[in-house]
Amino acid sequence: MEKTKLSFDPFNLIITGVGGQGNVMASRVLGNMLSHKGFHITIGETFGASQRGGSVMSHVRVSSASSLSPQIARGQAHMIIALEPIEAIRVLMTYGNPEVNVLCNIRPIHPVGVISGELDYPSLEDAKAYVTELSKSAWFVNATDRAMEQMGNPIFGNIILLGALAGTNLLPLDRDDFKMIIQGDMTQDKVKINLDAYDMGMEMVKG
Amino acid sequence: MTRIADDHKGTSHLLMGNEAIARGALEAGVSVAAGYPGTPSSEIISTLAKVPKEHNLYVEWSTNEKVAMEVAAAASFAGLRSMCVLKQNGVNVAADFLLHLSGSGTRGGIIIVPCDDPGALSSINEGESRHFARLLEIPLLEPGNFQEAKDMTKWAFELSEEIRNLVMVRSVTRLSHASGNVIFGELPKEAPRAFFKHDGFILDPMEGIVVSVPVSYRHGQQHEKLKKSIEIFETSPFNIYTGPDNPELLIITASVCDLYTREAVHILGLQDRVGVLKLGTTWPLPPKLMEKVMGRTDKILIIEEVIPFLEENVKILASELAPKIGIKTFFGKRDGSLPMAGELNPDLIISVLVKIFSMRYESMPSSYAEKAETYALKAAPARDLTFCPGCPHRASFWSIHNVLKMDNQEGFVCGDIGCYSLATLPTGFMSLKTMHSMGSGTGVASGFGKLDQFGMEQPILSVCGDSTFFHSVMPALVNAVHHKSNITVVVLDNSGTAMTGFQPHPGLKVDARGNEAPNIDIQAVCEAIGAKVKTSDPFDFDGTQKALFDLLEDKEGVKVLILKQICALSPEKKEKKMFEMSVNIEECLGQSCGCNRLCTRIFRCPGLVWDKDNQTARIDEAICTGCGVCANICPSGAIKKEEVA
Amino acid sequence: MQISGSNELVEQILKNDLCVACGACVGLCPYFKVYRGKVAMTFPCDLTQGRCYAYCPKTEVDYDNLSQTFYGKPYQGSALGEYRRIAASRAGDKMISGPFQNGGTVSALMTLALKTGMIDAAVLTDSDGLIPVPRLITKEEEVVQCASAKYVASPTLSCVNKGVEEGYDRIGVVGTPCQMTAVAQMKCNLLDKADFKDPIAFTVGLFCTWALDFRTFVDFLSDRLDLSTICSMDIPPPPAEVLIVKTADKDIEIPLSDIRPLVLKGCSVCPDMTAEWADVSVGAYEGKPGWNTLIIRSEKGEVMVDEAVKEGFLIVDELPALNLAHLIQGADGKKRRARENIEKAAAGNDSERNKQPAVTENWKMSSFQ
Ligand SMILES: Cc1cc2nc3c(=O)[nH]c(=O)nc-3n(C[C@H](O)[C@H](O)[C@H](O)COP(=O)(O)OP(=O)(O)OC[C@H]3O[C@@H](n4cnc5c(N)ncnc54)[C@H](O)[C@@H]3O)c2cc1C
Ligand code: SF4
Ligand code: SF4
Repeated sequence: MEKTKLSFDPFNLIITGVGGQGNVMASRVLGNMLSHKGFHITIGETFGASQRGGSVMSHVRVSSASSLSPQIARGQAHMIIALEPIEAIRVLMTYGNPEVNVLCNIRPIHPVGVISGELDYPSLEDAKAYVTELSKSAWFVNATDRAMEQMGNPIFGNIILLGALAGTNLLPLDRDDFKMIIQGDMTQDKVKINLDAYDMGMEMVKG
Repeated sequence: MTRIADDHKGTSHLLMGNEAIARGALEAGVSVAAGYPGTPSSEIISTLAKVPKEHNLYVEWSTNEKVAMEVAAAASFAGLRSMCVLKQNGVNVAADFLLHLSGSGTRGGIIIVPCDDPGALSSINEGESRHFARLLEIPLLEPGNFQEAKDMTKWAFELSEEIRNLVMVRSVTRLSHASGNVIFGELPKEAPRAFFKHDGFILDPMEGIVVSVPVSYRHGQQHEKLKKSIEIFETSPFNIYTGPDNPELLIITASVCDLYTREAVHILGLQDRVGVLKLGTTWPLPPKLMEKVMGRTDKILIIEEVIPFLEENVKILASELAPKIGIKTFFGKRDGSLPMAGELNPDLIISVLVKIFSMRYESMPSSYAEKAETYALKAAPARDLTFCPGCPHRASFWSIHNVLKMDNQEGFVCGDIGCYSLATLPTGFMSLKTMHSMGSGTGVASGFGKLDQFGMEQPILSVCGDSTFFHSVMPALVNAVHHKSNITVVVLDNSGTAMTGFQPHPGLKVDARGNEAPNIDIQAVCEAIGAKVKTSDPFDFDGTQKALFDLLEDKEGVKVLILKQICALSPEKKEKKMFEMSVNIEECLGQSCGCNRLCTRIFRCPGLVWDKDNQTARIDEAICTGCGVCANICPSGAIKKEEVA
Repeated sequence: MQISGSNELVEQILKNDLCVACGACVGLCPYFKVYRGKVAMTFPCDLTQGRCYAYCPKTEVDYDNLSQTFYGKPYQGSALGEYRRIAASRAGDKMISGPFQNGGTVSALMTLALKTGMIDAAVLTDSDGLIPVPRLITKEEEVVQCASAKYVASPTLSCVNKGVEEGYDRIGVVGTPCQMTAVAQMKCNLLDKADFKDPIAFTVGLFCTWALDFRTFVDFLSDRLDLSTICSMDIPPPPAEVLIVKTADKDIEIPLSDIRPLVLKGCSVCPDMTAEWADVSVGAYEGKPGWNTLIIRSEKGEVMVDEAVKEGFLIVDELPALNLAHLIQGADGKKRRARENIEKAAAGNDSERNKQPAVTENWKMSSFQ
């Protein structure tokens, strides 16, 4: 297998979101796509609380050499994919740096503290401004709403973001690898809808 | 993704640590695997359960960890390779049997795989299984990465057969639940046959009876086995030293801490000054190897999570070896360099190294850090855990809370471990007032129930899950009935072991492998034990509250209320909404007297959000699962449900 | 007068055991609930002002305001409150008979009020065994089903809230003096709501010296008899000093001295024996079973009684002077005891004083001469 060069080695990517957003699946698919390219992948995850309203983070590390720590060190992220806007800010606080790139879904999921009225959720403009200010480049996409409109289910937001990540060209991602990997796991009609979501994501950052 | 039981020899696959362990067991030719679900261990059994039936494998979710260990032991006695998988708490449950098993010795290779949870990422304690290895006097192996997770598991079976005793392979959350690349080995071809020899010479370990007596004889034998393990460990390829010949600092570490350590050393550029001894065989320690490595330097830092297990064992050896290797300066937990509680990460290790080497290190520019912190404080409100949208537990605790409040006698609920542990938080209306080990809610309640003799008049409830009921509530229930303890046990039956990913249990008609299985009916069991039983659907508030009131009014003996409703995450429910929900904003009372946001302020299903601009509640259709429950709590009927065709 | 919210209600009244379970706060919102005669708050509410606090008869009650509203003058503190006429009465021939407590005056007036459409629903008190059951009824024939007195405190006013919720706007209410105080406050728009409309059209108050706590009373009785055999209960007027429990086969007399410990603590600070804020008030007729004492207070009450007499629903007679004198004596006695109990508590240490409801100050100011 021919290895493409990484912009950083290891390349540290964080996928963050809220339990139930398909974070774990996204990191697995991404990991497998890159593993298929011949890279060594390490993914660190927090589950357990994952479906239960808490913040969920996957650290995906891409290296040409070996397995790495499943937890990235502070300030060391190269790319952050946020399935929820305020989770981007939370992750930037620990793992961000002036050179980091952020790909951010703009659909909020209110924490219970906000629902109950004890805490405040920022306006989308503020959230975007903070993310932009804390990153080298930031892409904002409306993945959840598009997924609901076009796929009838918000869960495809994670695949849309994977497609968008491919669209940024920051990592050597291949649509064919994506297809192959989900084919191993899913029925034919599911593969189709996932490919649509992936393509839609690619378009969203290119446009 | 990867099919774990395909041969694929020599190819690399991205596997979760738990999958790697499962693969290792398959490569070792494991025949029997048993366990009880517990994060972070569960995927090992789940993965093996999915192995196609052509591979002659027996996999079960046992009723509890002790039974799982016993089931695995039987296979070993019959000459097969077997394993028992559990989380750290589970080792305690199995401990009684384990002590006898390590005394009697084993035959076919047998391993116990506890997955510990430093930092209690998904536990209510950060208990340690490592010290059990010392207590049981059995070898302890700790994989330090994904490849080792597979390779060491496979090797552990061989070691077990070599010493004819149980071997512990210990994993942790950050390995079990992390993924990395693993190169596959070969799968065995021949299928073993089970036969239990029991009529040979009585003391013959392979043909006699399998018992731990005569104790001093067998215990002596056990120590011979340990000595043999030490010899094997001296040359084990899983103990690796990397670094300069005479480092300024020697780090001794194991498990996933090795990956953190390497990361820290790399980030600080200390490769030429620091040596790292990564141990795979952490108990008993191989003294010759230790002598050689510790002899390289005067300063030693021991890096491990939670209790200073490795540190203490290293220090014992170091003092014994002192005449040969000299006196060392140690850093670790006992001198406060590393915390006694919580998990480690590269940053914590960086900070220790920075101190030892008097270096400066800035993980991010301080201006950036300040800005990021300010924004996070301003715009990233904390995310407390909650029951899932549509979770039956929210409904159950809603009724329990309301009934106890209305009953107005300061009644309380004793609980244990499961999703319903979240009822200590506002999401469960803070109903749980005690929370300990599996099944303990009912045992503790049984005790409270006898305090009437000392003037205690508060109503006493306990809750347990359906899987927990079989795991360890039954003995407590028997105890309460036999002792006429006036308590009400609420079984939150959501048809599966939800917390850990929906594993089947004896109450269901299916087993781990997906085969049809006779189910044991909880109601019938409770009735047979002698409790008065009622069943209700927690989504039916009126029926549930009426049933609970009736049971509470009955002051004699043990009452059981079974609240049956499938978990919102179950495959049956996940894909489909029962109701299309909406809020009629004309009818929504919002913050005014007469409601004051009951739904969002108190009930707090994440599917309902408070629309600040309009001052009304609103359904978040991306999150609502359409269970319909909130329609019943709205005092003005503003939350509408419409059945989905 | 300070109108606070539910937290203060819980602190001042519920936690101090001063609640008499009248039901005024129950059903206004999802937070106050009643079960087996006890009111509880199920979840905290953070509003600083609430109808619960405003209606409760045990928080500070502004008697001057009530008196101004209903009688156009400051509160006088006289034994029987303001009234137009006092008489003896009983149900007339047109009224169907029922298990009336005394003369059936209450049932007769409510039946007629429904019949004439003066009210569109009535809030009464039925029972299920020993437990009183509040009911919202709309049919005349349902009135007699609720006849007879339940000496256990009943959260009857919860049905007023239910009636309002269901859209009734001319509700008739029968209740004890504390309940009539709460109803008077419900009629006053104390929270100054722009869209306020008085939903209550007619009120009949019952004389009352105390009511029992359901839970302790049930425990007390179940130690002595089989609860399921109880048919009814009566407290004959003085000097009898007994509670008669009628069962299927016999009458059991329980000395009132045994019963007194089961009286609600909130009753000991209650200054009102004759339901001073009702349109009419009805009690027993000392020495004449089958008759009532009737106090007509408001114009509406007077019109209603006259109509009832005219329609043959009520027979009215003179009340002898001696009876009136005894009534005044009894009512004065209740006011005196209430004042003593309040002052006793107020004179106690600080923590005791804190346990007194805000009502204390107000009473000292204006209630008693
Ligand atoms: C708790 C209590 C204490 C009383 N104490 C005295 C007293 O000390 N001296 C005295 O002269 N009279 C007292 N009475 C009033 C008396 O018992 C009769 O209710 C009254 O004389 C009316 O008789 P009646 O035949 O017209 O009533 P009925 O026609 O039988 O009608 C009785 C009405 O009372 C209502 N009611 C019954 N129980 C309750 C309750 N717990 N709360 C609210 N409403 C209720 C019913 O809805 C019914 O409409 C008391 C009543 C109660 C409920
Ligand atoms: S219907 Fe209501 S309670 Fe059920 S998931 Fe939706 S918002 Fe939550
Ligand atoms: S005595 Fe007063 S407080 Fe008690 S029930 Fe009668 S009217 Fe209410």
